[in-house]
Amino acid sequence: MPVPDEVSAPFWEAAADGRLVLARCSRCETFVHPPEPVCPHCHHTDPRFAFEPAPTTGVVRSWTVIRQSFLPGFNVPFTLLDVALDGLDDLRLIGRLAPEGREPPEHIGEPVHVVFEVPAGGGPAVPSFVLSEP
Amino acid sequence: MTGFAARSKVAVVGCAQSPIVKHHDRPLGALAVDVAREAIADAGLTVADVDGFTTSALLPTAGDHPVVDGVSTVSANWLAANLGADPSYVTGFQGYGQLPGAVALAVNALMSGAADHVLVHRALHNPAGRYHGSAQQQARGAAQWTMPQGYFGPIAMIGLPTNEYFQRYGATREDLGAVVVEARKNGARLPWSHWHGSPLDLDEYLAAPLLADPICRFDCDRPVDGVAAFVLTTAERARDLPNRPVYVTAYAGAQPSRHRLPLHWPLDDIAEVGAATARQLWERSGLGADDVDLPQVYDGFSPFVWFWLEALGYCPVGEAHRFVSGGGIDSDVLGALPALSGGGALGSGRMHGVPQMLECYLQLAGRAGDRQREGARVGIACQASPHFGGAVMYSSEVM
Repeated sequence: MPVPDEVSAPFWEAAADGRLVLARCSRCETFVHPPEPVCPHCHHTDPRFAFEPAPTTGVVRSWTVIRQSFLPGFNVPFTLLDVALDGLDDLRLIGRLAPEGREPPEHIGEPVHVVFEVPAGGGPAVPSFVLSEP
Repeated sequence: MTGFAARSKVAVVGCAQSPIVKHHDRPLGALAVDVAREAIADAGLTVADVDGFTTSALLPTAGDHPVVDGVSTVSANWLAANLGADPSYVTGFQGYGQLPGAVALAVNALMSGAADHVLVHRALHNPAGRYHGSAQQQARGAAQWTMPQGYFGPIAMIGLPTNEYFQRYGATREDLGAVVVEARKNGARLPWSHWHGSPLDLDEYLAAPLLADPICRFDCDRPVDGVAAFVLTTAERARDLPNRPVYVTAYAGAQPSRHRLPLHWPLDDIAEVGAATARQLWERSGLGADDVDLPQVYDGFSPFVWFWLEALGYCPVGEAHRFVSGGGIDSDVLGALPALSGGGALGSGRMHGVPQMLECYLQLAGRAGDRQREGARVGIACQASPHFGGAVMYSSEVM
């Protein structure tokens, strides 16, 4: 389960409320994920990231079905999606496809939206994705 | 940037390699000292002549295994000390593309005069127990962004861009299997290989269960114990040594790519930054893809073969799977591109770039025995992903 730190705490607090917030550089106003000591976009050394509401829709760029897990607390198989969030210049999130047991997408480019799930092994809610109805 | 001053100024003059096995019955460090002594003797030198040591000591695992110098890893410092050498230059490469990185350090040391003869080694260890397994329950730091979702380890990492390639370009498991079958065919012919005498056919490949779609265990090189060592010196000194020199024409390393989640390698990042890695190699060498007889592409995961073939320009982006399935890299077909003739990692074992470098050296030095490919002049030894690793070009002639 995630261990929030002083930078990431707002992300996990919002996740517990079912809200997606992402780090935004206060200097160049670019969303970056994950946040780093230096803004990867404008390279400011004091980016003062603020977690702000982020788009909760996106498109599938790839996926893989995990059939053998190398971590405890995960039931296999499950599908992981590589998602580009809408309007954020190819910013990607990786998350599970919900609900558990759902067949993987058929094509790259399928629309998805963010939901929050508590993992089978317990712990705070994490962002996952469901395939949007056409 | 000024021109690349090291072109053809440094040569590989000798080598040695241990058998590549699942587990050696001796400590890795003891094996490394024996292999180093053998490589130095092969070059016609003594330990007293060798004053430079470079390596990358990285233990290639994401699991929970401890790192112990001389046991699970062998640093340049440990090797120099335990050989009883009196070196003037000892260092390790930090990063990926470990063997090209260590060779580049050796070239720079020889060009600067920091050392006269450099031993480059790579020692790989296969820890007991599950290689990548982790009992970790808590995800701190960078891991908190991916581990809670179950995104963990190199097999999931390679699953995403491989499926992206499948979906975008219509590649299939049969196409990926063609890579593995070619690597295992060549590896089966190598007496030192873990897979000696053990080729794989496409039916066996297709019957393997998937780990992370579309990756099965045969797409992953097998963890092994093994050590290889190469001796490098200046081209001038190489003239007086017994083996035919193989010149380092140029080296290249990947530049930083776009900020992403840990272990997230979108296909476009691989292609764009990989093409820049190749451009650096062509610019520094003054040569192009058509001048290369033996591009030994990296294959720690089978799809890397496609990614390198495309980065180096042997196929348009999105075409490498058809190229390989059509026999384009068949080492037994005259006129094909023998890109895995040295067995690669899939056909030898997880030796992290050693099979590629060894094949370049043996072929270009005329020391490949009954596998000798007549007329081979230029080779490239690649390692890791083209956007994350590196490559070294070698030549049998001063270019």
